[in-house]
Amino acid sequence: MQQHTLRITAQDQPTVLERLLQVTRYRGFIVTGMTMFGRVDESVLDIELTVQSEKSIDHLHNQLNKLIDVDGISVKKSDALQCPT
Amino acid sequence: MVSKKPQTGGTVLFNVLQQHGVEHVFGYPGGAIMPIYDALYDSDIKHFLCRHEQGASFSAIGYARASQKVGVCLATSGPGATNLITGLADALADSIPVVAITGQVATSSMGSDAFQEIDIFGLSLACTKHSFQVRDVNELADILHQAFAIALEGRQGPVLVDIPKDIQLAIVDKPVDNIYVAKRTLVDSKVNPQLKIESANIGTALALLKQAKKPILYVGGGVGMADAVTELREFISVTDIPSVSTLKGLGAVNPSDECYLGMLGMHGTKAANFAVQRCDLLIAVGARFDDRVTGKLAEFAPHAKIIHFDIDQAEINKRRKVDVSILGDLKVNLPALAAPLSIHEWHGECKHMRESFVWQYDHPGETIFAPAVLSEISRTMVKNTVVTTDVGQHQMWAAQHMTFEHPTNFLTSGGMGTMGFGVPAAIGAQISRPDDTVIAVTGDGSFMMNVQELSTIKRFQLPVKIVLIDNSKLGMVRQWQDLFFDGRLSETDLSDNPDFVMLANAFDIKSKVITKKEQVSAAINEMLTHEGAYLLQVKIDASDNVWPLVPPNTANDKMMEST
Ligand SMILES: Cc1ncc(C[n+]2csc(CCOP(=O)(O)OP(=O)(O)O)c2C)c(N)n1
Repeated sequence: MQQHTLRITAQDQPTVLERLLQVTRYRGFIVTGMTMFGRVDESVLDIELTVQSEKSIDHLHNQLNKLIDVDGISVKKSDALQCPT
Repeated sequence: MVSKKPQTGGTVLFNVLQQHGVEHVFGYPGGAIMPIYDALYDSDIKHFLCRHEQGASFSAIGYARASQKVGVCLATSGPGATNLITGLADALADSIPVVAITGQVATSSMGSDAFQEIDIFGLSLACTKHSFQVRDVNELADILHQAFAIALEGRQGPVLVDIPKDIQLAIVDKPVDNIYVAKRTLVDSKVNPQLKIESANIGTALALLKQAKKPILYVGGGVGMADAVTELREFISVTDIPSVSTLKGLGAVNPSDECYLGMLGMHGTKAANFAVQRCDLLIAVGARFDDRVTGKLAEFAPHAKIIHFDIDQAEINKRRKVDVSILGDLKVNLPALAAPLSIHEWHGECKHMRESFVWQYDHPGETIFAPAVLSEISRTMVKNTVVTTDVGQHQMWAAQHMTFEHPTNFLTSGGMGTMGFGVPAAIGAQISRPDDTVIAVTGDGSFMMNVQELSTIKRFQLPVKIVLIDNSKLGMVRQWQDLFFDGRLSETDLSDNPDFVMLANAFDIKSKVITKKEQVSAAINEMLTHEGAYLLQVKIDASDNVWPLVPPNTANDKMMEST
């Protein structure tokens, strides 16, 4: 089981979180942590999604990248299991 | 023309549709979409009333696939919207550009479990490329422009726009004209993927191609979707490369090419599957290594290096690791790889396989052999006939025994395998191509799934021909029960089917049933020369099977050819 953190920049749409989570679940990843904040005066959201799966993170990365509201994603491998505080 | 009258959301909708060149829409009215239907009353756009929203969605798909335009369907909120879902899923699986418009309860009632309120936006997440809920009438035009751009650009797909009733009625600040402004292009890189050539990868791919002794071109639905049939055929003629096709790719390769081996996969030809299993280089073009194509993935094309051309980055390395990927527009990228090859021996081997494994149509007894009927229809029908299918044995027989000159001439539910697709898709195809013959090949199970659409055929006097392959069974499931479930025929008997001829006649559709081989030619001739709609019921033996068949989780060269 591998854990990765995805740094996602997305359009500040009320629906964007639901889309991210739907794709993440469908593609076989479990969310173990999440933070999100909007940039002041910009209609952009910064989202950090920590996910866990047996599958390659590239699959999820590629699928999330296709979401129309997603502007960019970077992936970081995280070794220690973090507590989603 | 912008009229002086204040414009409502409903008017804006039809004006924007006209801007995108939409002439025909398919739908079904209801409470929460009434203001849109009221605006339709004044619009030049022609609406086709279907008899079920699922029918409307499949007709929009058939329209889109036969004409390479966007298909548009409309439905009311709640049950109207949920009835579109199967069509949206089908369009997503086969990457078909469809824009679905749903009515929604008024914004003031949303979230209150109002009458006919369903969270169609939530439902759409898993079955559309993108979806919108309109919250302000002044954003409607822009959202609709985006919907068209998203449906068409990159990997095509369905987009849903949910419009609350108060927004359909609200007046816009700035009116929208209805002049056709060609295709709007958005600057968003997501919507408009790179068209440039990936020169480094092209170089590597060219090197692989030059080294290869036994290359095969594996052609998918993406070729037709990218409108790259000409480029593909040019590539084949320059390289002389042997080719195979997926279900959705049929029609892309010239069927008379001497090294075209037909469909690969579960019900593929022996030649196609043998060649792919032996090849040393597989060039996937707009194809996605679907499980029905690969059989046991670990043993698929075991000796092959892979070059993968696609528009969708997420398809690269999804099921099979590739050696080189070439992302982007096939129209641009295919010519870049077209160079003569020296593969005479392999070419000869493939040509020999094509000639040795020809279909056999001898079938004992008097009962009709469906593959022979479909093959005869294929040879008799005029050029540019559109064939749609439903799902099951008849679908695989159509794929195996009919030949198509272009992917827009063969419309079948590939990725989703949706029964009920055939007749409404034929309706959409006939409306988009009124001068071409349209034939729906269906089964007695599938036909009943959208049989209400015979009413649409009647109302609009569409000359659709329906060939109903009747085995009084859910044949494909019955075949699997016989082969893999010890012949325990659970719930696959349809021997109490209605009288299909009488049923067709009830919709003013001419109809005939045939049961013997000697009746086939005359019946086909009568159907194809009849001016209006026609239903030909072809009774076949309930135990006929589709061969070859690659059993589940088996390598593609270990196909079964009989019981
Ligand atoms: C909507 C839907 N429900 C169920 C299935 C599963 N299924 C696949 S083929 C088939 C039998 C189809 O029977 P028929 O239309 O008579 O065609 P045949 O196989 O007999 O040619 C069934 C039930 C499906 N593909 N789609």
